[in-house]
Amino acid sequence: MSLSHYLVVSAALFLIGLFGALTRRNTIGILMSIELIFNAANLNLVAFNRYLHFDALHGNVITLFVMGIAAAEAVVGLALLMAIYRNLNTIYAEDFNLLKG
Amino acid sequence: MLEHVYWIPLIPLFTSVVILFGGKEGKDSKMPYLGIAAMAWCFLQSSVIFFQTLTGRIPLLEGKEYFLYERIPWLSWGPNLKVHLGVLIDGPAATLLFVVTLVSLLVQIYSLGYMYDDKRKKRYYAFLSFFTAAMLGLVVSSSLLILFAAWELVGVSSYLLIGFWFEKPGPAYAAKKAFITTKLGDCGFYFGLLLLFSYTGTFDLVMLKSHVAQGLLPLEAATAIGIGFLIGAIGKSAQMPLFIWLPDAMEGPTPVSALIHAATMVVAGIYLVARVYFIYTSAPLALGAVAWVGLFTAFLAATMAVTAYDIKKVLAYSTISQLGYMMLGLGVYGYTSALFHLTTHAFFKALLFLGAGSVIHSVHTNDMREMGGLIKRMPATATTMGIATLTIAGMPLLSGWWSKEAVLHAAYSHNWGMWLLGVLTAGLTSFYMCRLFFLTFIGEPRDPHKHQHAHESPATMTGPLWVLAMLSLFAGGLLHYNGLFEHLVHFEVVGHGEHAGGSHAPAFLLPGAAIFVFLLGLGFAYRLYAGSLKTAQGLRDRFEWAADTLERRYYFDDFFLWLVSLSDKLAAACFWIDSRVVDAIFVDGWALVVRAVAAASDFFDDYFVDGAVDGMGTLTQDAGWGLRKLVRGQVQEYLLYVSLAVAVFATFLISR
Repeated sequence: MSLSHYLVVSAALFLIGLFGALTRRNTIGILMSIELIFNAANLNLVAFNRYLHFDALHGNVITLFVMGIAAAEAVVGLALLMAIYRNLNTIYAEDFNLLKG
Repeated sequence: MLEHVYWIPLIPLFTSVVILFGGKEGKDSKMPYLGIAAMAWCFLQSSVIFFQTLTGRIPLLEGKEYFLYERIPWLSWGPNLKVHLGVLIDGPAATLLFVVTLVSLLVQIYSLGYMYDDKRKKRYYAFLSFFTAAMLGLVVSSSLLILFAAWELVGVSSYLLIGFWFEKPGPAYAAKKAFITTKLGDCGFYFGLLLLFSYTGTFDLVMLKSHVAQGLLPLEAATAIGIGFLIGAIGKSAQMPLFIWLPDAMEGPTPVSALIHAATMVVAGIYLVARVYFIYTSAPLALGAVAWVGLFTAFLAATMAVTAYDIKKVLAYSTISQLGYMMLGLGVYGYTSALFHLTTHAFFKALLFLGAGSVIHSVHTNDMREMGGLIKRMPATATTMGIATLTIAGMPLLSGWWSKEAVLHAAYSHNWGMWLLGVLTAGLTSFYMCRLFFLTFIGEPRDPHKHQHAHESPATMTGPLWVLAMLSLFAGGLLHYNGLFEHLVHFEVVGHGEHAGGSHAPAFLLPGAAIFVFLLGLGFAYRLYAGSLKTAQGLRDRFEWAADTLERRYYFDDFFLWLVSLSDKLAAACFWIDSRVVDAIFVDGWALVVRAVAAASDFFDDYFVDGAVDGMGTLTQDAGWGLRKLVRGQVQEYLLYVSLAVAVFATFLISR
């Protein structure tokens, strides 16, 4: 198992997340896809730490931070979603067009 | 006394302001007494100065020809361009101070009687004080610029006083005429002043004299300046041909005529020439002009006096004639004689005017044909007038005799032809003055009604008459005695002795001729006017054309009126050219051009400038409308854009 394998998996994960974020109509789906992108980044961090700086812990620690922040962000995102749903009665992203030019 | 001479003009100046703005106007105004008190003080100071300088109690300054020369800086335009306020007291100035303050004082006292029921008494005395202040300023000033300013101020006072009874059209017209005519002369004075300053850079008389002595003034410039000053003097001193204002100025109150138009203001021209005599002696042509102008004025004015019937007009012509004598005196190197004649003339001419005023006050007419026999009604006036008449006519040993003889003597030494005309004029003077006296005081009353109501004037009027009569009798002799006056007032002409160029006369000729013409004039006047006027009337009818010419003042007035109408026509022609040619081409034509340019400019503004502005706005608006289509409010689209952008940039970075 080399670093490249991890990076390929990570890139795949990122692209899946991006595809999901761009194509899902349901906002919850979009949020979930974004979590995938986070995890792609996390996998990168851990992999680089393991292969490039074996003795160091920076990558692992930042990963833990990212996971914490992602959890908090999910909470905020879902809360916003609740508010939007109450006002607009929908959770499809294409209906959120108040900023239309 | 002498060092405080600057108070002499300042006191009447302040007094005039106080009189004008203080106190109550009306017949009972107390302000006249203030004016008289101030003038009495000035007279006291002036007479002390005059007698001390005359008797040598005050000496001349070391090596100089003046008694006092003080100045303070006034205007400064640079290191070499300064004008000073200053006083310069020499012999003529001391004399003039005495004469002006004396006549002014006597006239103010006299006016108490003459103007007793005038409703604008206060204003009258304010003007008199103001005039005296200006005249005294003219006399003492060491700077020609200040002299010029005072010169104009006496002109203004003269205007105000001639037109004092401005409700009547006559005085209002005469005031304007006097002011404008003298202004014509002032142009010459001003021109000379500017020319003088451009050559020497100073207005100061003492410095000017030293400059001229050093030869800084070329002959041509000195001549031009002299002629310019002469033109100013011709206007002010009523010489040919600008004398026309003086006879009309008789419309003013008679005491004013005595003060301004006989004794003081009109001698300002003579005084100016005397003040800058050093310029004239360096320019013989200008001096010659002075002499000839004076001579012809003296003669022609004397002939005009022969036919006049208005008592004041006779005196006005006589004044012009005597001023001509003074000019003649100056012009023939008789500096002393001219100023001597100026002094004595001030006395007897003021007396004549005040006497005439007394007569007019009593009979309420100026026309001598309505008088006659007044000697019985007004003995004091008649006696004093008689003295003055004999004095001016040239009765030996009276004041006028001495001064006129001095002038004629100077004329004879210069050119005997001038002397001959001068003597002829003296004969005419004797004739018309005796004619005036006989018509007024002797013979049968020609208007019994007026004669009956005639009365002697009050003491405020006869008092000054007696004072002046005494001066007319004795002043000339006293001043002449021992060469006192010549010692005080003289001018050393370099390279020209009194007798150098001229011829010597037999000792008896000059006085003999003068006495002869005096008696001749007296005799003719007695023959024609003492009794019935039939002979005189016959002569007049026979030589009507001559009488007409004289009464119309040799058509000088008509000449000036013609000049005015000519300039009217010229102005009309100029107006036509202005309205039809200049306006049509330059104003209206220019307007057309401007309108065309404006239209072009408007077009350019509308289509190019505004087009650019509007185009910028439209472009921005259209761009906005286009761009807003990109912003559809779809959050996933935005993310797509971001992703694509990142991909592009990443590709760019990696491939670099």
